[in-house]
Amino acid sequence: MRSKFDEQLELLHKELIQMGALCEDAIAMAAKALAEGNTMLADKVPDLSAEIDQKERDIEAMCMKLLLQQQPVAKDLRVISSALKMVTDMERIGDNSGDIADIVTMANITASDNTVHIQDMARATIKMVTDSIDAFVKKDTELANAVIAYDDVVDECFDEIKTDLIKQFGAPESNGEKVLDLLMIAKYFERMADHAAEIAKWVLFSITGNKVG
Amino acid sequence: MTKRIFRTIFIVAVGVFLASALLFMTVLYDYFSTVGQNQLRAQIDLAAQGVTNEGIEYFDGLEAHNYRITWIGKDGSVLYDSVSNANDMENHFEREEVKEALAKGYGESFRYSATLTERYLYSAKRLPDGTVIRLSIAQNSMLVLTFGMLQPIIIIFAMAIILSAFLASRLSKKIVKPLNELNLDEPLENDGYDELSPLLRRIDTQQQQIRQQKEELNHKQSEFEAVTSGMAEGIILLNPKGTILSINRAASKLFGTDSFVVGEDILSVNRSLALTELLQKAEEGKHAEAVMTFDSGKYQLAASPVTANDEVIGIVVLILDVTEKEKAEQMRREFTANVSHELKTPLHTISGYAELLSNGMVKQEDITAFSKRIYTEAGRMICLVEDIIKLSHLDEGAEDMKQENTDLFVLADHVVTTLMPEAKKTGVAIELHGESAVLCGIPQLLESIVYNLCDNAIKYNRKNGSVSVTVKNEEASVVLSVVDTGIGIPEEHKERIFERFYRVDKSHSKEIGGTGLGLSIVKHAARLHQAEIELQSVVGKGTAVTVKFPKKS
Repeated sequence: MRSKFDEQLELLHKELIQMGALCEDAIAMAAKALAEGNTMLADKVPDLSAEIDQKERDIEAMCMKLLLQQQPVAKDLRVISSALKMVTDMERIGDNSGDIADIVTMANITASDNTVHIQDMARATIKMVTDSIDAFVKKDTELANAVIAYDDVVDECFDEIKTDLIKQFGAPESNGEKVLDLLMIAKYFERMADHAAEIAKWVLFSITGNKVG
Repeated sequence: MTKRIFRTIFIVAVGVFLASALLFMTVLYDYFSTVGQNQLRAQIDLAAQGVTNEGIEYFDGLEAHNYRITWIGKDGSVLYDSVSNANDMENHFEREEVKEALAKGYGESFRYSATLTERYLYSAKRLPDGTVIRLSIAQNSMLVLTFGMLQPIIIIFAMAIILSAFLASRLSKKIVKPLNELNLDEPLENDGYDELSPLLRRIDTQQQQIRQQKEELNHKQSEFEAVTSGMAEGIILLNPKGTILSINRAASKLFGTDSFVVGEDILSVNRSLALTELLQKAEEGKHAEAVMTFDSGKYQLAASPVTANDEVIGIVVLILDVTEKEKAEQMRREFTANVSHELKTPLHTISGYAELLSNGMVKQEDITAFSKRIYTEAGRMICLVEDIIKLSHLDEGAEDMKQENTDLFVLADHVVTTLMPEAKKTGVAIELHGESAVLCGIPQLLESIVYNLCDNAIKYNRKNGSVSVTVKNEEASVVLSVVDTGIGIPEEHKERIFERFYRVDKSHSKEIGGTGLGLSIVKHAARLHQAEIELQSVVGKGTAVTVKFPKKS
């Protein structure tokens, strides 16, 4: 009975890693589509996002089943409950990637509109998502703490972009729609970074039992 | 063990007890019966005497406590009984002992009481007057006897149980103790039971076998590791669930892990979807391949299932570095595209003008101009084909060309003179510096090196620019340098300009002319002379190409 439980926990771990990998792909693809103004690539992101949604439901069902059938305690309970919370954050990352891709699909933004700041922000966010999944995979508390700290970098990027965009808005020949789209994209990246930090916090919780923030 | 020993001891004890009890009881009971009977016989003789002598009066003084005396008449009627009233008793003529006594003078019999608890022994004797005197005593039956002994029997049973349990536990402990103390690491060193020696010998041989097999396995494992760790290709062995069984150095380096990941899931090493899909296919028993991009380049991953009895028992993932291959592939594709393009352009011009001419659609006065165009384009094609031939000749190693001592300065002078008109046309000053420098080489190839470098320096120059050609001797080499004040080469193109047909500015190649093979020829010719080429260039300022030929001793 116990060994079956262990197997199920192992499977849960694997599924979570796979879901994390899907999220990484989704955000990387959205960022690439944005950088290249590639609407074809952007069209593919919603599929990935849907796949992530499906994975979320699967993992949720799995966690519920484990909670009901095995009545886990202590660390097992922490692992399962943090898994339940993590999938929500991962799913949001998938959704936000889809949202960015949607904006790219509308073709208001071309490759040339990508300021250095947006590129930096995309890179920083991808790094955070990748690192948070890595922290989960390797059960690395140090890395998880680093991810949480890195959130400030992304927030800074967001502020810089906002200042940039305000300047652009003031310019006489500005394209209002484009500026708003870029602002939305920046906001989505900022949200994803928050979710990544949240994942890192849950990783910490599942290892140490202390929830930060 | 204890339980079984206990059971055996208990059964034996109880069995022996029961058997001996049975034996004693039957023997003793028989004995007591016989004693009783003999007594009865003696008593009846006495009683018969008494009755014969005294008649009925004999009974008056008689006190019969432990036996019953009956006097029976000739017809079987009871004349006297010591227990009951004689008149109330039935006729005794049919009683076995009476019948026997009447017939033979003496008779005996025994009967059980209705409850089987007592046995009556009867003995009868015929008196001289024909009456019969009968004596009877009661004995307890065997059943009652046994019943009476029930308490001691139960006590004995209980004692047997306690004793056997105690003995059994002691015995089993005693038996097991040497077994528990067996030193199985050195089976032959034990002196427990002789009966165990075949077992111990067997264990010993098996242990030796195991040791041998373990050594062999270790040996094979280290052999495998030695082979795989030296490999440039990465190898990962997985079980069907995706747990890493073995990973070699190249693979762990590529995935950025160490050998401690053995026993962990592959997902914790790399979670990319491409790899997951690849392994999924392999898990289903299909061979699968994919190209993945890592930080250090492009790698081809081939996953093949290991099957036994139609069941996947493992997965082998082979990782090959295909960075170079992909690059070469791309170069080949570009070369083919370029060569066809370069050949096609002049051919189109030639065919177009020739078509117009053959249709007679060209005015008489234009014919010369048209033919001239055809002539130039054909000339360009000839140049191109010649260059290609020269290149393929160089590819082959140019073995038919003879090396001889050549003065590079003289060659350069010749080239500069040849190119002077061209340079003047484009407004570029070309000059030669240096000294006579003799080296051993193939004059034609050396000339094409100098020619192509100078030609490029003039072509890719600006108005009023200059080209400076220098030939000088160094200690172990002859150095040729061509410095221009031209447009320069951007950093990202520097590596590729020696490729065939590679052009920095593809859109203007037609205006400038040339075949796109010049520098390629320079590179190959220089290689044949073991010469080193050095390229320094600043965009907008100019380019300096230095070729260092080694002096052959």
